[in-house]
Amino acid sequence: MLWVALELPSLPLQIAERAGASGDAWVISEGPAQRPTVACANEAARQAGIREGQAVAAAKALAGELKVLERDPSAEIAALQRLAAWAGQFTPMVNVEAQGIVLEVASTLRLFSGHAQLTAAILRGVRELGFHAAVGVAPTPLAARIIARAEARGLQVRSCVDLRELRTRLADLPLFLFDWPGETLARLTDLGILRVKDILELPREGLARRFGPAIVLSLERLLGNVSDPREPYVPPPTFRSRIELPAEAEGVQALLFPLRRMLAEFEGCARGRGAGAQQLLLTLEHGRKVRTRLALEFASPEREADFILAIAREKLGRLKLAAPTIALSLRADALLPFVPRNAAWLPGSQERALERERLVERLAARLGRDRVFGIALADDHRPEKSWKPGTDPSFSHAGQKGQISPGGSPLGDRIQRPVWLLQRPQRLITGDGHPSMQGTLDLLAGPERIESGWWDGEEVSRDYYVASNPHGETFWIYREHRDPAAWYLHGVFS
Amino acid sequence: MNLAHFPGVWRGGEFEQAIHATVATGHAALDRELPGGGWPMGTLSEVLHEGVGIGEVGFLAGALARASEGDRLVAWINAPHVPYAPALAQAGVPLDRCLVIRPQSAEDALWSAEQALKSGACGAALVWLQAVKNQYAWLRRLQMAAEAGRAMAVFFRPVADEALSTPAHLRVVVMRNADALRIRIPKRRGPPLTVPVTIGSKPGTDHVFQLCKIKTGDRPRFSHDRIERAPRKNVV
Repeated sequence: MLWVALELPSLPLQIAERAGASGDAWVISEGPAQRPTVACANEAARQAGIREGQAVAAAKALAGELKVLERDPSAEIAALQRLAAWAGQFTPMVNVEAQGIVLEVASTLRLFSGHAQLTAAILRGVRELGFHAAVGVAPTPLAARIIARAEARGLQVRSCVDLRELRTRLADLPLFLFDWPGETLARLTDLGILRVKDILELPREGLARRFGPAIVLSLERLLGNVSDPREPYVPPPTFRSRIELPAEAEGVQALLFPLRRMLAEFEGCARGRGAGAQQLLLTLEHGRKVRTRLALEFASPEREADFILAIAREKLGRLKLAAPTIALSLRADALLPFVPRNAAWLPGSQERALERERLVERLAARLGRDRVFGIALADDHRPEKSWKPGTDPSFSHAGQKGQISPGGSPLGDRIQRPVWLLQRPQRLITGDGHPSMQGTLDLLAGPERIESGWWDGEEVSRDYYVASNPHGETFWIYREHRDPAAWYLHGVFS
Repeated sequence: MNLAHFPGVWRGGEFEQAIHATVATGHAALDRELPGGGWPMGTLSEVLHEGVGIGEVGFLAGALARASEGDRLVAWINAPHVPYAPALAQAGVPLDRCLVIRPQSAEDALWSAEQALKSGACGAALVWLQAVKNQYAWLRRLQMAAEAGRAMAVFFRPVADEALSTPAHLRVVVMRNADALRIRIPKRRGPPLTVPVTIGSKPGTDHVFQLCKIKTGDRPRFSHDRIERAPRKNVV
């Protein structure tokens, strides 16, 4: 067994600063409303002389414009649970603790080529989420946590992989790193027992009698003499995340940075479950219950943060926001199985299909779905019905070679058709019985009788001609069989 | 020592020697005049034409078909009308590779063109656009995007724009002359071509039906026994 512990020091502060730090001094308060105390203070507040445990009133006296946020334990637990869900991409065994998480990694060590690479990858990921964490590696979960805590307080401890070395590695660590009751710690200090090595030298029975069996049990678990079973955290089958912005954000650009962090979180959670989402709901909160909702929809389940961010950027760019944004939330109600795309050694049709899909998604996100389409032949003789907007070329036939280019229209290649077809035939001016379009039209070929569609009420009965004007432009014109004097322009050759 | 024998010395009258990817247009006369023996890939080119419907797209059909090889798309961006599927199929442009993009504004059109070219998913992007602000800068961006995506970018603009400078590596002026298409190349990687190349036939005339005599106000007569097959000409 090998455990990696992540410790997030001053978690409430980290949660509050996730959407981007501001230069102002501010603190998180806790305790009774009558006399709140400072739970954590940010860097600017510390420089003003504010310390943890001070009364908020005293802190306000030290820093003029101090912002005070109340501590929200449920938000902390939710953040840790999301972090645990995110860490599910590294190992199935993740456990949520106070102020951190522990991961059992022995089973996945090979996949990530060793614990050094793995911890580096985890730390990199945590930074992308907008958190900073101290990391501890040890053969027991408790020891990993103690090492991570020591690291968070600036004590250098080398990570330990071998159970036999654990005792010497931990020997010099102070006892206040343990989650023991403050009373116990105070009495141990009074007795001159300050470090781990001191307490390990003492006889266990005496310790149990004096401080209770729980202390002895935790020491045995620390050293791996007694098993320390943990329940793995099972994330819910949906994804929800919310970030409050440090200040009201005008416009859209300021939202992209926190959005990137939420999407990184989403990607990790989805990766841990082998899932992706076809629809993501992004909500911008403007205060006073005013919200802007934005749905990000994809043709197939997606989870890559960069890609989703690119789509979101286009969609957000189109929005006109009525009010500044104060918070962002992201929601995926259904996580669907994600089919990972294998990378090919040589770029081939799979990459092409992916590139196509991505391109069409990106274009449709900005221009609208109905403005990006493919074209296909339809089985009809009426010119306006012999084509139809096809499905996106990205989704049909992707990767099917050999089916490309059917090699001609149902007409064969004897009769030429114009490259441009007008959406609606345009009535031509006729002078002296001759149609004209920027000059009298000279008929070059025709007529070609197209008479069809009597069965569906959109009957056409037309004689088509190819005509050109003195400028050399060539048109496809027709006249109604029933009204020979009326000429219409229907297509333009090119 | 003759300076002209040094490799890398280029004389004004020659084509550039460096190898650039090109695709044959299918018109031998035109291919001969294009450096590299075909329409350039991975760069922006311009087609200047007066009026719609003189064959300004048709003569590129062969190049488009070749550019779409390897599952790449042909993007029609802000085309004056909807490209008509049967005609494209006749010209040999694979229909299931065509992507029609109808942006609402010039910015959107240029943005779409840039995205399409840069993505690498498109073999060719055809762009129609009226004059926009910062045209040169935008064209330069399209040029860069085409290079990045190794795609063929074709920008269609009016003949009057010939006086404007361009970052494109190829500029072609298409004129209709009776039955043929006359192509002048004022800018290419080499000396400008002043004597126009003549290609192709008039579009649409390659028709199985001969034109019946039409009297003014008269209905055309359709006696099928009169139908003669017209000699087949170059189908493009």
